[in-house]
Amino acid sequence: MFKQIKDLAGGEYYLITSLFIFMVFFILVGIYLLKLNKNYIHQMSQMPINEPQPKEEDDNY
Amino acid sequence: MQLEKFTYDNKIVRDFGLATLIWGIIGMTVGLLAAMQLFKPSMNLGNQYTTFGRIRPLHTNAVIFAFVGNAIFMGVYYSLQRLLKARMFSDVLSKIHFWGWQLIIVSAVITLPLGFTTSHEYAELEWPIDIAITLIWVVFGINMFGTIFKRREQHLYVAIWFYIATFVTIAVLHIVNSFELPISFLKSYYVYAGVQDALVQWWYGHNAVAFFLTTPYLGMMYYFLPKMANRPVYSYKLSILHFWSLIFIYIWAGPHHLLYTSLPGWAQSLGVAFSIMLIAPSWGGMINGLLTLRGAWDKVREDVTLKFMVVSLTAYGMATFEGPLLSLKQINGVAHFTDWIVAHVHVGALGWNGFLTFGVMYWLIPRLYKTELYSKKMASFHFWIGTLGIIFYAVPMYWAGFTQGLMWKEFTPEGLLKYPNFLTTTLQIIPMHVLRSIGGAFYLTGVIVMAFNLGKTMLKAKLVANEPAEAMPLVKDSVVDPADNKWHRRLERRPIKFMVFALIVILIGGMVEMMPTFTIQSNVPTIASVKPYSPLELEGRDLYIREGCVGCHSQTVRPFRSETERYGEYSKAGEFVYDHPFLWGSKRTGPDLHRIGGKYTNAWHFNHMLDPTSMSPGSIMPSYPWLIKQQLDTTSTATKIRAMQTLGVPYLSGYDLEANAELKIQADSIASDLKKNNIQVKSDREIIALIAYLQRLGTDIKANKSTIPSNQ
Repeated sequence: MFKQIKDLAGGEYYLITSLFIFMVFFILVGIYLLKLNKNYIHQMSQMPINEPQPKEEDDNY
Repeated sequence: MQLEKFTYDNKIVRDFGLATLIWGIIGMTVGLLAAMQLFKPSMNLGNQYTTFGRIRPLHTNAVIFAFVGNAIFMGVYYSLQRLLKARMFSDVLSKIHFWGWQLIIVSAVITLPLGFTTSHEYAELEWPIDIAITLIWVVFGINMFGTIFKRREQHLYVAIWFYIATFVTIAVLHIVNSFELPISFLKSYYVYAGVQDALVQWWYGHNAVAFFLTTPYLGMMYYFLPKMANRPVYSYKLSILHFWSLIFIYIWAGPHHLLYTSLPGWAQSLGVAFSIMLIAPSWGGMINGLLTLRGAWDKVREDVTLKFMVVSLTAYGMATFEGPLLSLKQINGVAHFTDWIVAHVHVGALGWNGFLTFGVMYWLIPRLYKTELYSKKMASFHFWIGTLGIIFYAVPMYWAGFTQGLMWKEFTPEGLLKYPNFLTTTLQIIPMHVLRSIGGAFYLTGVIVMAFNLGKTMLKAKLVANEPAEAMPLVKDSVVDPADNKWHRRLERRPIKFMVFALIVILIGGMVEMMPTFTIQSNVPTIASVKPYSPLELEGRDLYIREGCVGCHSQTVRPFRSETERYGEYSKAGEFVYDHPFLWGSKRTGPDLHRIGGKYTNAWHFNHMLDPTSMSPGSIMPSYPWLIKQQLDTTSTATKIRAMQTLGVPYLSGYDLEANAELKIQADSIASDLKKNNIQVKSDREIIALIAYLQRLGTDIKANKSTIPSNQ
């Protein structure tokens, strides 16, 4: 796998910094997910299937 | 508080649906025509406007921006209104968006066959059309955000996050990739050159796949799949994690399209690392989709829309597993430039985008008309012939890719190339190209059957143009609850801040990748012997671009022994510093041309362009008789030289005024050489300029090898 990462010619800083930025970002999103309220998650996931159905008599087309 | 009554605009959804059907059939028919030319070149119908190099970009633009583009707008306009419990912000903007987009597509249909192309893959349209795309995209954005602002639903469902990320990222990609200097009404040069141009192009190209073919479709999947299965998405938490990870990681992966080229090694490694990481969020989306169907697999047996969705998600999973695999250098070394990539792309396009579109349309159209689908049997037939079409398309292309990739690299025990003639490797895979066309024809048949089925569905009922709905109004204070300290919940209730946050996330990757390549001189070492093109060569280069030669011929020799043996010295970054645009290509249907200069005589090139089979028996390259008949247009040569000067190409001051005189001297010299070989052709014909360009290719460093720096 590490054979993939070669010929860096001093560019390893870009690579390490990039991976570090991603790790920080990923950990922050992970912490946020752990703290999420279950009711909120349930409410959000139901959104597409809880749309009010239009009433036939209201059709005005 | 009273319920508010309002209506959903279904007409605009239907219109985008119709456009999806029409452009889908046109785009795929053009694709089939192009595919057939790869085993029967005479299928170009004997004219320049329908020859492979010109219609290949027409096919890609038609299926990506016309078929998929209209399908995205259909899905977004339907789901956005319902998720936000609001009619679209402005009917007028919806109409401008619809007709503007169709006009852009029509302009592509006209200009691409005429040879007006920038040559950047999936961004071939010339600068006036680029401006039109920007304006229409802004109209779409205003309409979308206007709807979000007047919503009656407090929270933004995850599908809308994907739509917002799509809007903002496509805007950034399109603008950065469209920095062109206009020469005339339909001709421009990219401000970037060589390696930098390649990096911008593949940052754009890769992320066009990410943010035009993937994120809006994931948004549609998160809305339509739960509706079809009548159950919520498997994990909403996973959808959040996979959204942020996907948009963050995708943007870094572009350089995997440039492995083993003269792009700096660290940028290639960055592309590889992030491509491998990309498996996780991609499969997060696929698994979330498939697990949404848990406990509902009995429905999949009976419901054709769910069948389409399951195959679509499976194809997404396959393509997003294969993508990282292809970015591994050892695999890329064999697969790149072969039909393997064509297979990979089409598993995604035909499976993921095509089948998800079909599933959504079979579900959506009957609902817009409040009726049942005209024929479930026809829809089922479509599903099976479409699936067979994908198999008949992909399997032969994989086979062709493995075969050709390995043949290019095979040596004899004596250390010589086993197949030194490139054509041998092309002829070996002709049967695969025939089978691929049969697969494409199956798939197209399915789409035509769908168009008939949906047309009949529409005819048997009346469109519910304005669908009534009602919802409680959103109290302004409730949009932002100060007591609510969950930052993300607050963020996703503020759509503009959400958009800015998404923008920052996608900008990080692009900036880390591109800024060092643009600002640090050592990333693109210059070579003293590399000189700007002569005026005739520059005109020839523009003809090379017009004819779409880049669709079949690469111009970058990779540092493999199999390539340096076949083509010559591997390509260096410094050789491309005057190439506006770069022409490295992404497919070798024919051989690489970077070291073609001086390899053959002028007469060989003339005869080869007139009839390729006369020089290479069995060749599948089309004939270009029009290049011999048509006079070279030199009216804009001076303008082109001035434009190149503006872009930093070191022509001497005042050279623009001498350009045509110098052009004539070089053209006369080539015509005179041809005459010695009994070829009578006027020196002002297009073929002369093209020969001049081909003879120049890759010769700069042959002339002075001691000046070559190593950048590998």
